[in-house]
Amino acid sequence: MTDSKQSVSVGDRVRSLVGNQTSLLIVVMVALSIVFTAFSNGTFLQTSIFSNILTDWGSLILLAVGQTLVVISGGIDLSVGSTVSLSTVVAGFVLVKVMNLPGTIHGSDAWGYLVIAILVAVLTGLAVGAVNALLINVFKIVPFIATLSTFGAAAGFAIIISGGMPLQGPNDFALINPIRIPGIDVRTFDTGLLSPMVILMIVVVTIVGMFLHKARFGLYTYAIGSNAFAARAAGISVKRHTAKIYMLSGALSGLGGFYAYVRLGGGSPSSGAGMELFAIAATVIGGASLMGGVGRIIGTVLGTLILYTVQSGLLMVGVSADWKQIVVAILIAAAVAVQTLQKKNGAR
Amino acid sequence: MKRSLRTIAAFGVAAALVAGASGCAANKQITIAFVMGAESDPFFQAMKVGAEAEAKAEGVKLIWQGDASHYDVATEVPIVDNVIAQKPDGLVLIPTDPDGLQASSDKAVAAGIAVANVDTHVTDLSKVVTFITGDNGDGGAKAAKAIADKIGYTAGKTYQVVVGLTSATATTNVARLEGFKTAVAQDYPGIQIMDVAYSASNPQTAATNVNNWLTKYPNLSGIFAIDGTNASGAAAALQAKGLTGKIALVGYDAYPANVALITSGVFTALIAQDPAAEARLAIKTLVDYIKNKKSPATRDVVIPNVTLDAMTSAADLAKYTYVATK
Repeated sequence: MTDSKQSVSVGDRVRSLVGNQTSLLIVVMVALSIVFTAFSNGTFLQTSIFSNILTDWGSLILLAVGQTLVVISGGIDLSVGSTVSLSTVVAGFVLVKVMNLPGTIHGSDAWGYLVIAILVAVLTGLAVGAVNALLINVFKIVPFIATLSTFGAAAGFAIIISGGMPLQGPNDFALINPIRIPGIDVRTFDTGLLSPMVILMIVVVTIVGMFLHKARFGLYTYAIGSNAFAARAAGISVKRHTAKIYMLSGALSGLGGFYAYVRLGGGSPSSGAGMELFAIAATVIGGASLMGGVGRIIGTVLGTLILYTVQSGLLMVGVSADWKQIVVAILIAAAVAVQTLQKKNGAR
Repeated sequence: MKRSLRTIAAFGVAAALVAGASGCAANKQITIAFVMGAESDPFFQAMKVGAEAEAKAEGVKLIWQGDASHYDVATEVPIVDNVIAQKPDGLVLIPTDPDGLQASSDKAVAAGIAVANVDTHVTDLSKVVTFITGDNGDGGAKAAKAIADKIGYTAGKTYQVVVGLTSATATTNVARLEGFKTAVAQDYPGIQIMDVAYSASNPQTAATNVNNWLTKYPNLSGIFAIDGTNASGAAAALQAKGLTGKIALVGYDAYPANVALITSGVFTALIAQDPAAEARLAIKTLVDYIKNKKSPATRDVVIPNVTLDAMTSAADLAKYTYVATK
């Protein structure tokens, strides 16, 4: 703030692009990495660990991004985890039971079928989102209860459709494996960091991020979350826009279901179990406010990354599995506390 | 008019019921009710197949009941009460809670219904005709042996093994892990259990745990995936990393998808329970008891788990693979 006038414009630009919360999150990320590296005798600092973390990141990020949109608009979507389970199972069902394809089709032979799987999964997610929108807009059910209902129903349908067991379908596991630069020996330096699936997720997140921060879609989302009455008065069709947000969240979760399909080699009915809570946690750690109107995609991207860095790091350090959830709980509480303090300081 | 029609209909139904009941008494057709935990669970699906087959063989009428998807005492109690009201001769009960279902079990006994417990049991077994369960501890021991066989266990050498669990409290997980640990301590002291981690029923999390273990323990010899969820996740992680067959992977539960992966070498072995056999024995014992008023020689019966591996015959693989009934 007290910088010379020339640097203010640049500093402000950077700040508006990144935000205070973001710099804080990056600091936390780096600090965590240093702590884990120190306590694991350096084993944490390996390419394969970061590749593992990014693989996990890919499984949750779309749900978390969808959740962020919903949360910014002042709502909540509890159905995202069950949507993953349902969409991955429906994709598996179409390939295995309807098209009668065996689980032995591997490699590039499976690509054509995976295109079908991606379409089916996204459409299934979109359908769940549409049901959420219907319950909220037409039946006037508050988002918490509306999405709690679809959470239960989608999980139930996932079990019924799959018979409670995973459906092994055509798959190419190379899509979830990190791409390595040819010619460099893995033993000298492991270049495998990003898998094709993770790259796909990054592309999708970037597009959604641009929609939120650069397009009218985002402006409306923030407006509704800040003050729905004012948004309506300003001529925004709140109902229609809310419907769009929940359907987008559903479609993104459906794509997350496809990710689970490729990762597990088929449709598993519990692939999304518990992920709604992780999505909300990542969103909150990333700085979005459950009161609506506040939140950034970059925050959620880092929030998700921190969540899985902690998970992997604790395992590498050798902290017992029982302590993991306690650490995550502390992390969420700390994130919210920091936000509240920031707000207070801002008010002063 | 409408009302009188309804009255006539009601009388008709009542008459039919009386006729049906007396008919039953004359033919002595035995009715057995079977109340299980959750219809959607593959374990109970497989159990249903066994129950239906045995009921057909014994010529008894089977009433199959249970919640659609919740393994929960709150939903089970009203179902049991409903079933008791239908006055079956026998009741096979899978109590979702030992104390929570005690009253329902006692109520059935008081109504003259012979009660058997399968898989889990009520706290007070004194009025129960038989209790039949799978041996999870034995299953854990079998997993230890399968891993030892695969890695060519030699005394004096050390091997690193990890265990994927669903939670710290699931009773089956606990029993299997205990059986595994005991067998390792007794027979394979060179096997070191390096770590355990939880998947919270999510196969993606199970895959995550395996990925991290592979980095942390580059010399990992084996993985014991303690249930179907962990088995699926671990199998996917090993396939993705191209480590099929290089690390001993022993899973649990004979899901069709996982059984198929025995042949392709992803699973060293799968330990399977035999829910169908448990159901068959329960119905057979109850029918015996109802017909001859004779209690079985031993009340508690433990059905061992089986090891399915590359040596298992196709017929046996098919026999133990969990099947969905519809």
